[in-house]
Amino acid sequence: MSADQHLQALTKVVVNNLENQHDWTQVQIHIQDNLPRPLIYGLPPKRLYVHPDEQIDIIKAEKQLNQRVPQEPELEWVLPLHLAEKWSISDFAAVFDAITAIPPGGEFVNANEDAQWQLWRGPKRGKRILLATVQDDSTVTYYWMHNGLVKPRQN
Amino acid sequence: MASTEDDRQVRISKIAGRYLVFDIDDVAYIRRQHGICAVFTGTMPQNPTQNVFLGLPLELYAEDAKMLLDRKVAYIADDPLEHLTQLKSMDDATRKSYLQSIKTQRRTAQLVFNEAKAQSMAKHKDKRKPKQPQPPVVVPTELPLPASSADDVTAAVDQEEEGGAESLLESSSSKPVKTDSSTPPQKPLVKEKLPAITPTTSNAMISNGISNPDVENHTALPLYSYLNERGYFITPGLRFGGDFSVYPGDPFRYHAHYMANSYGWDEKIPMLDLVTSGRLGTAVKKSFLMGGQKPATENSEAGELRAFCIEWAGM
Repeated sequence: MSADQHLQALTKVVVNNLENQHDWTQVQIHIQDNLPRPLIYGLPPKRLYVHPDEQIDIIKAEKQLNQRVPQEPELEWVLPLHLAEKWSISDFAAVFDAITAIPPGGEFVNANEDAQWQLWRGPKRGKRILLATVQDDSTVTYYWMHNGLVKPRQN
Repeated sequence: MASTEDDRQVRISKIAGRYLVFDIDDVAYIRRQHGICAVFTGTMPQNPTQNVFLGLPLELYAEDAKMLLDRKVAYIADDPLEHLTQLKSMDDATRKSYLQSIKTQRRTAQLVFNEAKAQSMAKHKDKRKPKQPQPPVVVPTELPLPASSADDVTAAVDQEEEGGAESLLESSSSKPVKTDSSTPPQKPLVKEKLPAITPTTSNAMISNGISNPDVENHTALPLYSYLNERGYFITPGLRFGGDFSVYPGDPFRYHAHYMANSYGWDEKIPMLDLVTSGRLGTAVKKSFLMGGQKPATENSEAGELRAFCIEWAGM
């Protein structure tokens, strides 16, 4: 099997897993010249990542407005990988440099609002990619990779 | 204090390839001003098991040493070499002044002992006073006992019946115990003498060194100084499964945010390492930080440092 076919199969496994196991919608395969392989993006059923500082800002805003702040899901990038692969810092850096913070189509979702807690959404947010690591038994594990120093969530 | 800290030069002793700091003021200085905690490694040979409360010397990473050296606030002394040359080349005057400094230390030690002794005597005096009206304890056994307790009497009688011959019981009999208790009043007669000391430092012997050996094996320096410059404190990370654990401030106040590994720019990292480290980091409420620096090329100097944080996605 050629490398190209391997990547296609890998991408397909991850797309199927996202759509059927994790109920993602609008899942698209994204091909770009300066990317080493196809990326995937899509909309998770609920919000996948809340930065700990955003959480604090949301609580403050909710207290001030006296109403719940809606937590709509955002489009997220997914990088399909196989467990047997080896990537270097430079490889990851190349992927992060090639992408925009928000996948195509999600840029203007919250663009008009400028409340403090909105800084964590929309194009101002830091770049992040969901690493989808596929095992031979078709298990897929998902890990967030953030660009730069991003403090951990309070689990 | 601030004025003296401006031109402070931390002495880093290089011994057997390790970088050690022996001066407690230096330790406080690098922790406060440079965000370096490092690890205390000193322990007492008699009681080496306590590994939480260790003392001087402080062992630095090669990265710490290099960073302090680059900031021109430290020098590295080749300690064994410096001591040997100093001992060999010592002239009479230096030797005398060194011996004099030892004597001063012994006098100080004597003063401290005396003070402690006086304090404990004063403390015990109050406790002993009420006991003094009980004469039986101090009375020598040669005299007939005033029958303070029946047992004592029989024991004494038993011994007299044996005719003072060596008995197995002698060591445990009441006799020596009682004589012992009568001895303390004689103790102050012992001749006063300066106590012997084991010097804890050879500071007085060595001059402030000029020797400045190179620091080797500081491969993680780019990531290390990148984090240090941003105010993060770094301690060894093996306990959390990485090279370093990274704190957002002094570890006395904060929990670690990251467990960090440093990699080469093109070093291939197995995906399994990322998955396991990410999982482990999440389990200990940290995020796994990986960083590497773009190497210098012909038309550019040492490049940017890229850092990525990995967390479990929760799905």
